[in-house]
Amino acid sequence: MKPLSPVSLKVNGEPYELSIPPWRTLLEVLREDLSLTGTKRSCQEGQCGACTVLLDGHAIYSCLFLAVEAQGKEILTIEGLARSAGALDTIQKAFVETGAVQCGFCTPGLIMATKSFLDENPAPSEEEVRRATVGHLCRCTGYFQIIEAILAAARERAAKGAAA
Amino acid sequence: MGYLRRLPRFEYLAPRSVDEACSVLAEHQGDARLFAGGTDLVLQMKRREITPRTIIGLKGVPSLSSIRAQAGGIAIGAMTTFGAIESSALVRERYDFLCETAAAIGSPEIRAVATVGGNLSGALPCADFPAPLMTLGAVIRLRSVRGERALALEDFFMEFAETAAAPDEILTEIELPVRPGFTGGAYVKFRDRHAMDMTTTGVAACVTWDRERQVVDDVKIALSVSGPVPLRVKNAEAFLRGQAFTENALEEAACLACQEAQPRTSWRARKEFRQELIMVLTKKALRQAAGKARAATDRGNA
Repeated sequence: MKPLSPVSLKVNGEPYELSIPPWRTLLEVLREDLSLTGTKRSCQEGQCGACTVLLDGHAIYSCLFLAVEAQGKEILTIEGLARSAGALDTIQKAFVETGAVQCGFCTPGLIMATKSFLDENPAPSEEEVRRATVGHLCRCTGYFQIIEAILAAARERAAKGAAA
Repeated sequence: MGYLRRLPRFEYLAPRSVDEACSVLAEHQGDARLFAGGTDLVLQMKRREITPRTIIGLKGVPSLSSIRAQAGGIAIGAMTTFGAIESSALVRERYDFLCETAAAIGSPEIRAVATVGGNLSGALPCADFPAPLMTLGAVIRLRSVRGERALALEDFFMEFAETAAAPDEILTEIELPVRPGFTGGAYVKFRDRHAMDMTTTGVAACVTWDRERQVVDDVKIALSVSGPVPLRVKNAEAFLRGQAFTENALEEAACLACQEAQPRTSWRARKEFRQELIMVLTKKALRQAAGKARAATDRGNA
């Protein structure tokens, strides 16, 4: 049994050459090897959505995904969403302004899921937003502000797109 | 459910083609597990329900994740994700209820990773895809270093979590034949929550309508979580063939389906509740499927 495999990961545009055991999940590698702790560890069984990251643009649960299988894919985490320090992404701004963040533990996962969802469906209905976020648990907000934030982010992105 | 830990140790192999995957599997027979999406297997391993020495990852075999038109039907690669099925124009055009079934599984995050082949090969009674595929007459292809064979999907499920695949065989493709005449399908399921929940009981039905005689020409009905394996209810099907679509006929078919099923009591639901669900859902699935089939005859296109 080979304990370590060489793995090349591309996270938030940065290449990483790692030597990791194949039984490590992407979540463990992001948090423990790359110190990218914005991606949260919670249920570890694909129920809560806190560990959601984008893999080639699709939202996935990093707790259920082997890091070795992310080789050659583009990984985006919450740390890579804002283009530069201090400047928040439109989705992050909408979450802050709408009061969709309380304890904040579910927030990175929800924001990454929103990014993937709005990239695919830029003008969703409220029903579609509800369906898109079924895989995320929030114990503080009761979800109303989160749904509002996602709809606000969609409007803001559309306005920006129209202006550009 | 045991305490969720980190994954147990294993050796990881990543074949690049079906041939390579077959020979790697043949070499490691007995102590290797094929690893598709992994959304189920990772959990089983974290719980130490299974601790394979070797994991053969199939995500790097591109030919296994295609959906293609074939002789009026389609062929779905075993590594096709539910997300890909949900958004496939080809699947929607020919077997619309498969898209609906896929869209109602887990969450977008699960559907981006979980595969059809994994859903079938796990052979769990609560899997949502076997029943609808069985009503479409799905045939699966199994490959090994010894060659390839085709098998009707309904002959694939042997017992709880056991399939007819030999230890060296890989499920590569699911073939769906052309749908005859005026056909409609539906899969309806009951669950406690509307999302992220296991199915308590599910019923799939596929109805072909006889436009001249205004009766059911052909029908297939299959059930999820109604026995140790997904099952066809053939007495109910035989009864409905040639029948006009009346409430009495529906009631009788649902009773027959219930008699053929062997639901059990689990923490999720009592046996009696599942029997009640089979009655209700069988009628609901048949109504939806027949509605679609008759709408197709109204449009006049087969």
